[in-house]
Amino acid sequence: MNIKQYMSAPVLTISPEMTIPDARELLRARDFRHLPVVDENGQLLGIVTDRDLRSAYPSTVLCDERSQARLAALKKTPVSEIMSRDTYTLPVEATIDDALLILDRQKVGALPVVDENGAVLGMFSIRDLIRAYRGLFGLGERGSAMLAIEDDGRPRPLSRLCAALEAADIHFTRLLKAKQKPEDEHFIIYLRVTTYNLSAVRKILAAAGFFEKTDH
Amino acid sequence: MPNAKQALLLVSDQEFLQHHTGRGHPESPQRLQAVLKRLETSSAPGNSLAGSLRIIPARAARREELLTVHDENYLLRFEETALSGRSYLDHPDNQLSYDSYRIALQAAGAGLAAIDRLEEGGQSAALALVRPPGHHAERAAALGFCFLNNAAVAARYWQQRHQRQRIMIIDWDAHHGNGIQAAFEEDPDVFYLSIHEHPTWSFPGTGWSEERGSGPGRGATINLPLRPGSGDEQVMRLINEKVNPALAKFAPEALIIGAGFDGHRDDDMSGLAYSSELYRHLGRYAAAWSAQFCPGRLLSLLEGGYQPELLAVCVENYLDGLLKKGSDL
Repeated sequence: MNIKQYMSAPVLTISPEMTIPDARELLRARDFRHLPVVDENGQLLGIVTDRDLRSAYPSTVLCDERSQARLAALKKTPVSEIMSRDTYTLPVEATIDDALLILDRQKVGALPVVDENGAVLGMFSIRDLIRAYRGLFGLGERGSAMLAIEDDGRPRPLSRLCAALEAADIHFTRLLKAKQKPEDEHFIIYLRVTTYNLSAVRKILAAAGFFEKTDH
Repeated sequence: MPNAKQALLLVSDQEFLQHHTGRGHPESPQRLQAVLKRLETSSAPGNSLAGSLRIIPARAARREELLTVHDENYLLRFEETALSGRSYLDHPDNQLSYDSYRIALQAAGAGLAAIDRLEEGGQSAALALVRPPGHHAERAAALGFCFLNNAAVAARYWQQRHQRQRIMIIDWDAHHGNGIQAAFEEDPDVFYLSIHEHPTWSFPGTGWSEERGSGPGRGATINLPLRPGSGDEQVMRLINEKVNPALAKFAPEALIIGAGFDGHRDDDMSGLAYSSELYRHLGRYAAAWSAQFCPGRLLSLLEGGYQPELLAVCVENYLDGLLKKGSDL
C-alpha cells in the first residue's frame, strides 16, 4: 500500500528558468501531464501542468498582430511565472489511501512525492492510483473469476467461507466484505477464485450455506 | 433427404475418451460419450440427421504445426508432465493422464484433418468433436482444462497449407478464449470475435470490450461480453448488431467456430442462460455466413459444455442448424 511502490520514478523535473515553449514541447514529447519544477538541490518549487501551459498561449480570437507579440513574449517567459506554487505533496511514507483522499478532495490529477527535505522522488497520478487498485483487486488477472456472495448476517461468515474453500483445495486470491451502499443492511462478500471449475466452487459454497448474489 | 453436397464432416475418434481428468472433473470423457451416443441415434435411418454425417478420424498434429502457436519448451514440458504420471499441468484445474499429450495432439490435429477434407471440396462444413478443449491454452501455458490451442493451430494451418489468408474465428463458448486472442493479438489477418460472460463475473477474467487487438491487429479482435443471466435474445441482438457487420467488413476466406455449449442455462459452469434452441440458430447462422463468404470452409471445434446429456442435445441442435442454413433466419 506504500506510495513508493506505485509512484512513477525517477521523475522528469525542470528548472524554474525553463521557457514555456520548451516545457510544452517536453510534455508533448514525453506524453506527461505534470512537470515538477525544482531548484538546484532538487527541492520542489511548484508544478506546471499541460493546462497551465495551454492557457499561457494566446487565444485564437486575438488578432494576428497581438497574437504574434504574445508568442514572442512567451518564448522568453520562464515557467516560474505560471507554475502553481501551493502544490499538495505526498510524503514518501504516504500510502495509496492518503493519495486517494488528497486526489479526490483537491481535484488534482497528480501529486509530487517528496522526501523529508522536500526533494522530489516521484509523481503519483490518478492513473497510478487506478493501476495500484487494479493490481490489488486482481482485475484482469488471467485465470481467475470473481463471485459475489450474500452475507445473510449469520456469525463468522469469512472464517466459515475460508474453511470451506481450503478444505476443498480451492485457491483464492481476494476476499472482500463490503456494502454496496452504507445504508444497506447486509454485506456482500466478493471472492476471487483462481479456478475454472466454478461449478465445484458453487457446490462448496452452497454446502457451507452461502449463496451467490445474482442481482449484483 | 440432404444431398451429398450438404453432408457434414464429423471428426470423431474413440481416442478422445482416453484423456482422463479424474473423478468429478467437469471436463470428463462422459461429455463426448453422451454426444456420440446421441448422434448415433439421430443419424440412424429415418431420424433427423440420417445420411447427413460423414465421420472421419483425427490425426496427430505435427510438431511444426503446433510451433506456429506454441513454444517448443512448453510442448516438452506438457509431454513430460503427462508421461511422468503427474496429475496436472500448471494448475490443478488442468488434470491429465498418461495419454493426455498424445490425445491433445490428436485434438489439435482433428481440425487439420477436417480442413484438408474441406479443401478437397464437396462438403459444406465440419465439426471436430474433440477433447481436451483448446481456447484457453496459451503459447506456453495450460489454462482452464486446455493444453493445446486447437483453434489457433487450425487457423495457422489454413493459412500456411491452403493459402487462405483471412481467417475469422467466432467463439461463442461461455468463456473468453484468452489463448486464441493472445495468439492473434497483433495479426490483422486472423479476426477473433468472442461472445462470453462478462469478465468481472467469469473465468478467465479477460475479454473486456475494450480489448480490440493491438499494433497491426488493432480492430481485428472484438469482445462482446454479456451480463450473467443473458439469454438467446441478447445473443441474437449481438449477432445482428455486431457480428454480421464485422463479418461483412472482414470478408473471411475461412471460418472457424469455437463451439462451446456451456452458456446453456442448465450448465452451471457459467451464469449465462441460453436455451438449447439457441444452438440450432447458431448453426444456421454459421452455415449462412460460410455460404456467403467462404463456401465449404467452415470448421467448428468443440470447446466447453459440461453437462453431458445437455451437451449432446445442444450439439445435435447445432448440427441440425448447420444443415438447415438460412432456411428461416
